[in-house]
Amino acid sequence: MKYHDDLTRRYLKRRWAPWASTLAVTLGVFSLLTVLAVMEGFKVEMRERIRGTLSHLVVEADPFRGLVGEDSLLEAIRNTEGVEAAAPHVSTLALYKVGIMDHCVLRGIDPIPESKVSDLARYLLSDDEIDQMLSDKFSMLPPDREPSTAEEIAHVFSIERRRQIMSFRLNEDPGPGFTRESPPQAIIVGIEALRSFRLQMGDVVQISSYSPVTLEPCSGNFLVVGAFQSGVYEQDLRWAYTNIRALQDTLQLWDDSAEDMRISGISIKLEDFQKADEISETLHKEIQSRMSLPEDDPKSIPSRITSIETWEDKRANLIKAVEIEKRIISVLMLLIVAFASGMIFLILMLLVIEKERDLGVLRALGATRSGIVLLVLKQGMFLCTTGAILGLLSGWIFLENINEFHDFIFRMTGLQLFPPNVYYLERIPVVLRYQDVLLVCLPTLIFGFLGSVLPSMRAGRQDPIKALHHE
Amino acid sequence: MSDSSAPLPVVSVRNLERSFPLVNGEKLMVLKGLDLQIYEAEMVAIVGLSGVGKSTLLHCLGLLDTPSGGEITYRSGEKTWKTSQLDEDSRCQLRNHFIGFVFQFFHLLPDLNVLENVLLPSQVSRTSRAWNKNRDEFHGRAESLLQRVGLSGREKQAPGTLSGGERQRVAIARALMLSPPLLLCDEPTGNLDSRPSESIHELLRELHEDYSTSILVVTHDPDLAARGDRRLQMVDGRFEAESTS
Repeated sequence: MKYHDDLTRRYLKRRWAPWASTLAVTLGVFSLLTVLAVMEGFKVEMRERIRGTLSHLVVEADPFRGLVGEDSLLEAIRNTEGVEAAAPHVSTLALYKVGIMDHCVLRGIDPIPESKVSDLARYLLSDDEIDQMLSDKFSMLPPDREPSTAEEIAHVFSIERRRQIMSFRLNEDPGPGFTRESPPQAIIVGIEALRSFRLQMGDVVQISSYSPVTLEPCSGNFLVVGAFQSGVYEQDLRWAYTNIRALQDTLQLWDDSAEDMRISGISIKLEDFQKADEISETLHKEIQSRMSLPEDDPKSIPSRITSIETWEDKRANLIKAVEIEKRIISVLMLLIVAFASGMIFLILMLLVIEKERDLGVLRALGATRSGIVLLVLKQGMFLCTTGAILGLLSGWIFLENINEFHDFIFRMTGLQLFPPNVYYLERIPVVLRYQDVLLVCLPTLIFGFLGSVLPSMRAGRQDPIKALHHE
Repeated sequence: MSDSSAPLPVVSVRNLERSFPLVNGEKLMVLKGLDLQIYEAEMVAIVGLSGVGKSTLLHCLGLLDTPSGGEITYRSGEKTWKTSQLDEDSRCQLRNHFIGFVFQFFHLLPDLNVLENVLLPSQVSRTSRAWNKNRDEFHGRAESLLQRVGLSGREKQAPGTLSGGERQRVAIARALMLSPPLLLCDEPTGNLDSRPSESIHELLRELHEDYSTSILVVTHDPDLAARGDRRLQMVDGRFEAESTS
């Protein structure tokens, strides 16, 4: 009705109190949107980094018996529809000793196939990058950095590289059984291991572990020839890569019964990760059927207990923790919006009491009960919607420039709200999804409606005769 | 055969009753079987002491209150509406188009200016689009009414800046905005001094003659009552005496 528009405009134009509730809604929506976008950005960044060092799917055996029949397994997996690449790996916990002793997760990989199933090519650092990262302990690889080529990856693990590294070592014993011409096997370590001075480029590291075959201690010397930066601090501190064959020898993984070297598992990259469950099922059936073939069948695989997991399964707890954190913060932030709708309720109640006589006059002039209800409801929804729109706009502008705001605050106050050494992120990550915008808008409008509906019903129920005599 | 030249009642009240429940379970009868007819272009004054039921009668006639018994029939041309057959929406519609109210305390909306107050009845039953279509027509009507009540040039003023008499003039203009067949005035000069009261009396009489609107005035003011075509004395919920001028 025409009078709704005019009266709403007049009632709200001449009073500041209703706008306080709009401001509260604006702040609530702004906060909620910002938190959701930053948390989502953080989640996406985390997932990307965790996934980068892992492949889409991993076929793994029980750690004591491992997997054998690597060639048949690889052939079966690579022939499965939807599989883009597959690479074997050996993984073990190990102690390493240079000047100090520490522990690491040592992965034996076949470098070129591994670079096709994981983001190793993106994370492997060149010598210049290593120097630059060691001189600036907060620096990160730029996201648009070109991945290393297959030749560069192969070169890092090559004998030439090891000899070249050895040639820089002056008067140091490369260890028993090694010479400058036949140096130890290559190992590449996370950049944080170098930054924390646990290791240095060119170090000959003695690595000790237990052989899962003999259950005896075993050790070997490795030469630090390179470094990587995955962007996940723990991995960059604790993970190390070496050649799979070298690690198999060190861990004495020869399996007499199968007459083959054991591996820990096979990493798989899929053409489409969305089909992971379906392909996982197919692979499981294929491997089980090959394990049940007679031993003399060329396609047979020695029987072992295997499991197939996606990278999300392997990091489920971490992913879930971030998701739960996001959910809890969203609920807490929604309380601000609920508080704002409480303000709308109080302000509309006061307005209805103050304007009781006006509402009576409107009824005397022919306004219906529902017309009066709508008049008050529209005012509440107008306040709420205006607040939501302002909150969305200001939130969007803030999120678009969040890092500039952060830098500005840093320049003005010296306060770093998002220190890179804590979050291991150079910039505050932001991902604004339409689902999150809906998650902000819908509850805001629902709360706004709930806050407006009681005062509007009270206004509609007023007796016009009493209202006309209201002083 | 009916006489086609005889004036027809705009409002017919038959055996109107209105009672209110008391705390002890009994009922207080305020209107006790009233009969009343108000004819086209007639000005009727109802006088009586406080508490005899004048305002209750006015509220029932204005469809703000529901009678406990009896019936009120409204007529405009060939159309008639009986209170027993009206639902809530129809009552509101009839109140908007058929009846104009003038209150003792003016009841102008302080957030709207003079012109907007006068325009209000035209906005109550129309959507923004429908109203905007006839915007010029409504504005013209409101401005001519303000001119007629002597407030030309005061359209943009807030009601709070006007004197009591001027506010009542605005209220009268508002009541006439949709040219209702019936104008109900509840003590229209009850809140005014003698001089502005006199001018309101004059104005009501003039408007009554100009617009041929039927007017029912509830008043304590003998001067105003004397200007009516008929005067009805109300005592204890009934009409006791009737006199004509």
